[in-house]
Amino acid sequence: MTEPRFSMNRRDFLRGSFGVGAAAALAACGFSGDSASPSASTNASSAAPMAQAKVDGDLVYYSWADYCDPAVLSGFKEKYGVNIVEANYDGYAGMLAKIQAGNAYDVVLPGARYVELMRKQGLIQKIDKSQLKNADQLFGWGSYFDNPWYDPNSDYSTPFSMWTTGIAYRKDKVTTATGTWQDLWNEQAKGHIYVLDEDDEALGMAALKLGLDVNTANPDDLAKIKDVLISQKPYLRAYSTDDINNLASGNAWIHHAWSGDFLNFINNTATDPENWVYELPTDGSPLNSDAWVIPANAPHPGTALLWLDWIMQPDNVEKNINYIAYPLLSKSGPDIYSKMAANYPSLEVDVSKVVNPTVYKNHDPADQAARNAVWTEVKAS
Amino acid sequence: MSLQVEDAVVDVTTEKRRSPTRTRLWGVLLAPPAIWMVVFFISSVAIVVMLSFGHVNDVGKAVFGFSLDNYKALADPVYLKVLVRSAMFAIATTVISLVLGYPVAYTIALHGGKYKNALVAFLVIPFFASYLIRMYAWSTLLADEGVVNQFIRDTGLSDGIRFLNTPGAVVAGLVYGSIVFMVLPIYASLERMDTALIEAGKDLYHSPLQTFFAVTVPATRAGMLGGVLLVFLPSLGDFVAAQLLGGPSTYMIGNLIQQQFFEGHNQPLGSALTVVLMLALLVFMVFYLRATQRANRET
Repeated sequence: MTEPRFSMNRRDFLRGSFGVGAAAALAACGFSGDSASPSASTNASSAAPMAQAKVDGDLVYYSWADYCDPAVLSGFKEKYGVNIVEANYDGYAGMLAKIQAGNAYDVVLPGARYVELMRKQGLIQKIDKSQLKNADQLFGWGSYFDNPWYDPNSDYSTPFSMWTTGIAYRKDKVTTATGTWQDLWNEQAKGHIYVLDEDDEALGMAALKLGLDVNTANPDDLAKIKDVLISQKPYLRAYSTDDINNLASGNAWIHHAWSGDFLNFINNTATDPENWVYELPTDGSPLNSDAWVIPANAPHPGTALLWLDWIMQPDNVEKNINYIAYPLLSKSGPDIYSKMAANYPSLEVDVSKVVNPTVYKNHDPADQAARNAVWTEVKAS
Repeated sequence: MSLQVEDAVVDVTTEKRRSPTRTRLWGVLLAPPAIWMVVFFISSVAIVVMLSFGHVNDVGKAVFGFSLDNYKALADPVYLKVLVRSAMFAIATTVISLVLGYPVAYTIALHGGKYKNALVAFLVIPFFASYLIRMYAWSTLLADEGVVNQFIRDTGLSDGIRFLNTPGAVVAGLVYGSIVFMVLPIYASLERMDTALIEAGKDLYHSPLQTFFAVTVPATRAGMLGGVLLVFLPSLGDFVAAQLLGGPSTYMIGNLIQQQFFEGHNQPLGSALTVVLMLALLVFMVFYLRATQRANRET
């Protein structure tokens, strides 16, 4: 019953603390004002001197888990005598939230639309291509990525990998596949179907099924998309992006899946690779890419440039393709990948199609909110 | 009432006895935790509260503001639906934890003998592993072609049971994740209870069951209330169990908040949801404090 008594009473203490805390919060975080307008930030970063490719500390690396051959990572450590501090994300949105909150990384691998978003928000820095010895592997031979849609002139990013989104299914359980998105409503696999737990992928899939634009924010379109996705719920086991594990655990008979994850599963995990099919729905399939960026607040931009150079060196490109099973976007990448995916024509990825109507684009806040509201209702219902 | 008067008397006497140097010493000792709380706890709550009145600007960045739009958006019935579902899951979790946890606490406290501490340690050891890892472990064990189902098929009991991706799996995950927070406070109050009370109950010709409900349960009410609170509140806000063990229709309020912060690119709306959840939890907290006060007064 007896508490220690202080000269300051509890209420004063709480009141004081909250005041100081609020002030600290205001001062410390980047949510105040609309300061990061696109023009202001690009001017600011182009005026600043660009980083030089030389070791200026350990590499703070932020990417998907297991999305790089460990031999490529350890090779970098040995060559430059630095350590790699690795952090992982499980989705681009989470990655963006961390960086917006001020976490500092040297290299990050966002999806194309996130590169555009981060450039607009002033979160990434310009890359001096003359600092990259292997730049000719990526640029200057007529590559689409000399001037990609998400980053004019690839000023702020270096392209990495690309993939399609399709449907993986097992032949022993599913014999009535139609080759269209309707297969995610398959009666044979009712209760064993997974849809990717990503707003773009789920809304895009429904849009393609309905013959609509994957990036639509039109209210009528969105209402139809919502109805279609809700009509799918009785068929679903769950929403999940963990496609490899869901295929491996036997929980999934049909999975809305990424091409590279499917090939990775076939090469490394599947006990019966013959039993699996990857289908590219004939009503259209999303095709997307990602790219490496260096955040504006990177503590070691010099080491970061060395990494970008290292990752596009031809021998490392080959190692990585063999490890992650995604086509890499350098000069040699597509050929190495094609050999690997030779047995699966549906996994062929055509780099020339990377600018296409099924690429996920950014939206203005009102449209983003409208799409978000649909996804929320689908998930919550 | 009598208790409060007593308290005040104690105050006066201790205040008199304590020298100014001692008071200053307490102040100094208090400073580091106070700074810690200000920097890492209060400021983050303050950010959330302030952001809940903000909006998303043209390039998709969250900025502070003074609008009630986010709270108005929460009037959509879809949010209420998710909140009600979360509350149902949390209530089921709490009830199951209480029913399963009480006998465990009782056995250890009254029949544990010299193994008491070891048994409590065994209860706590699994909690050295992260909650997330343990949820992943369950999803691997209970998969359609996982170890448990393989065993069921091998023994010919059935063709396999679908455990995962059901509301039951989410509640089971929540119970597993939080049951120790039910057991420990009940254990502590059983430990403190005078066992002579049980013998007294028997002397008064109560059956063991009657004694349990007339003597033991009231004597451990504070512990049970503590356990209920410690299980209910985190369960209500949880999102990991629903994400890893849930199905297409087990979305909880925690998942919704996570979605607004990440995929939705709408941190202000996520903040408003968080504030509403915190207020709802606060109501339970006040209810708990009043209930424990009453429990203390009665014993």
